[in-house]
Amino acid sequence: MKAEETVVLASDLCKTYELGGAKVEVLKDVNLKVGKGGFTVISGPSGSGKTTLLNLIGGIDKPTSGKIVVFGDDLGVKDEDFLASFRCNKVGFVFQSYNLVSTLSVAENIAFPMEWARKPENYIKERVEKLLEIVGLQHRAEHFPFQLSGGEQQRVAFARALANDPPFLLVDEPTGNLDTKTSLKIIQILQRLKGDRKTVIVATHDERIIEFADQKLHLEDGKLVSLNE
Amino acid sequence: MNDLLRRKLQTSLIIVSLTLCVASTLFLLLFSEKIGFGISLMTESKLTTGFSTIFSRFIIFTGFLIFVVGAVIISFMVYVMMSQRVRDIGLMRATGCPNDLVFGYFLTELLVVTTIGCFLGVVLGIAADFASTSLFNSFGFQISQTPINFWLVLLVFGLFFAFALAFGAKPILDTTKVNPATALSPSYHFGVSKESGFKVTSKSGLTMKLALRSLFRHKSATTRIIICLVAVFLLATVGIAGGIIADQTTKSWIENAVGRDIVLIAHQDMCNQYKLLLSKFYETNDMPRIIYTDAKYSISEDILNLLSSMSSNISGIDPRLVLEMHVKEIVGYKINYTEVGDSREGDSLVIGVEPEKVLSNCSLDGEFLKENQPWEAVIGDSLALGMFTEPLNQSISLSGKAFEIVGVCLDPINNGNVTYVPLENLQTIMGVSEPNVVLAKINPSANRTAVLNYMRAQVKDLNSEFDVLDLNEVLDKNLSFLDYIWSTIMVLPAISLFSASLCLIAYAMLTITEQRQEFGVLRALGANPKTIIKIVSAQSLVVLLLSCAAGIAFGIMTTLLILVPEPIVTGFTVAEISAWLLTALVVTFIFSLYPAIRFARKPILEIMT
Repeated sequence: MKAEETVVLASDLCKTYELGGAKVEVLKDVNLKVGKGGFTVISGPSGSGKTTLLNLIGGIDKPTSGKIVVFGDDLGVKDEDFLASFRCNKVGFVFQSYNLVSTLSVAENIAFPMEWARKPENYIKERVEKLLEIVGLQHRAEHFPFQLSGGEQQRVAFARALANDPPFLLVDEPTGNLDTKTSLKIIQILQRLKGDRKTVIVATHDERIIEFADQKLHLEDGKLVSLNE
Repeated sequence: MNDLLRRKLQTSLIIVSLTLCVASTLFLLLFSEKIGFGISLMTESKLTTGFSTIFSRFIIFTGFLIFVVGAVIISFMVYVMMSQRVRDIGLMRATGCPNDLVFGYFLTELLVVTTIGCFLGVVLGIAADFASTSLFNSFGFQISQTPINFWLVLLVFGLFFAFALAFGAKPILDTTKVNPATALSPSYHFGVSKESGFKVTSKSGLTMKLALRSLFRHKSATTRIIICLVAVFLLATVGIAGGIIADQTTKSWIENAVGRDIVLIAHQDMCNQYKLLLSKFYETNDMPRIIYTDAKYSISEDILNLLSSMSSNISGIDPRLVLEMHVKEIVGYKINYTEVGDSREGDSLVIGVEPEKVLSNCSLDGEFLKENQPWEAVIGDSLALGMFTEPLNQSISLSGKAFEIVGVCLDPINNGNVTYVPLENLQTIMGVSEPNVVLAKINPSANRTAVLNYMRAQVKDLNSEFDVLDLNEVLDKNLSFLDYIWSTIMVLPAISLFSASLCLIAYAMLTITEQRQEFGVLRALGANPKTIIKIVSAQSLVVLLLSCAAGIAFGIMTTLLILVPEPIVTGFTVAEISAWLLTALVVTFIFSLYPAIRFARKPILEIMT
């Protein structure tokens, strides 16, 4: 893999939380390399540190030690303004619990990352329509999150993550809270992303997603191991 | 206790608000009682009755508003306090804790906060009263440090304590009725509706869209904070606008009644007596008894001629005969021949003046004396209110002669216990041929000090026992007394504004807590901390501007229609009031930003947890 094609490069990454005076080591010397256009899956039991790793890669959290370089930028040393711009333009994040903004409609939830990126109004309108079509929710554009099912909310979260057409997507347990039928729709979206050569990292237990991953990683007790070898 | 300590900021906010409300109400009651224009509408020999009425009306209204504001603030703060405990209540109920026990736990918490707040408020209120009285006395005014009225203290403590308990018990009862599963749901917040119900177009921008929709989502809390702030801004406007207008109006009355650049020429004893008569407005003093008709006090022709010869530096001469006389109320009749009056009698200062030469210009109800109307009288407001039922329909008797009352004036001399009658007639009745004081107005363009020195020297040459008294000094002391009183009264709305700021902070905390998760998501998706501050600021600003508009409008109407009759409002007054109110608005807004700034600095994961 060429150096310019590396999207994520984590070396000796450690993350420790302090909980009630006790130190909990969530990630221990994690090393990771994700290439451009690669579809990576991180599996592992609950509490193994999958979400923490995604947070570090997405610039939501900072490592206790080690380095996390995304698109050539060491996120551990960047200030909050840089990280905000990074999260807005370079990465799309799909949270496990959807996390839609309850006061905004479906269309507005998809539009707001573009408003922050100062995209023109007409462009935003067209892009929202296109994304709603991709996730199959054109008829729900004016609804509010509380009027949607879990699967629909998850699809809106995908559309929102894709709003600024980021080159890189982080997806946390996309099917964890969904029934089998609804999960299939989410898997279809993920397959479409893979087909579009987007760089995607998915944290999941779902074997159906692990199956079509280019790179399969397993996280247990804070240690990351490759399942490809 | 542990729960209260765990939420240090909230607990302190509630206790400080409660303390300030109780303290400001108690201070107002105690201090006004001491100064003599208290709720009882009684005058304690200081201030004329007319002035006292204005002050009393003002204080009664301000006191009422402070009480209302206090009650509203307490209700809001306790509501906020209890709405933050809904999840704990849900958890306790889910684990099988009976309802009465849950209610008991949180009522105990409420009792602790209320007791501490009310107790500290009483202590602070008494201390503020003591400090203000000492401060006034150090400036030369005489306000006695009377013992604290225990019943008043108990009344204020009891009322606020009961209010806080009543308002606090309601949200506890409401939350204990919520289904435990609902209470534990992360999407449930007490007083917050799930739906927005209000759509703002995207043109208004994301910040305003989020802010306004959130305001409509917590209808209950938004309505409460708006009511709370309207009451506060009404009080602030009445305090600031009313205070400034009333201050200028009352000062103008005094200035017109005494006159600016006026000097008094009289015998030294008479000069002292006149000074004491004027200072009765702001301090209680023992008046030496003098015989006003004594020939040694008579103003000689030489002195009058001297003043006439100084016409280039003096713009008016006003000879007066000042006496102390026994006066009687004469029963009058209304149009339908109904008798008015009770034939009361008492002592009054009687001043004979030449109507066309009078230099002062008292604020009047009715009209002043006219030439060729020897049997007319104008009486001071204290005499009018103390001895007459309908003075303008009655007459006054001096030495058995009846004078028709044609006007009631606001005059600080002898604290408003004064009667003006035509000089010539008074001289005839009393058998006195000369006036005993003469007032002269120094031309504003003249060199005051030089004129005063020249006049003093010339008067001393004519009669070494005579002196020239500069009335500006007495006038300034009268005016500064009014200034001190108004500035003391205006401190009270400032305290309320501070309480309101705390309420707004509590409101901002409530909205932030409820939107915590969403703000975290916004941050995770690319919003920087400034965006979060902007959203919370927009919410506070909308609430503040709405409340401010309503509060100020009601406040101005109340001031002009009820509190200050015939107000004196100049362009400068309007600018001064606007500047103060704008400052109050800006300061309150800046205060409200504190929780947002504090919150925005937190790491994203901490916000989302």
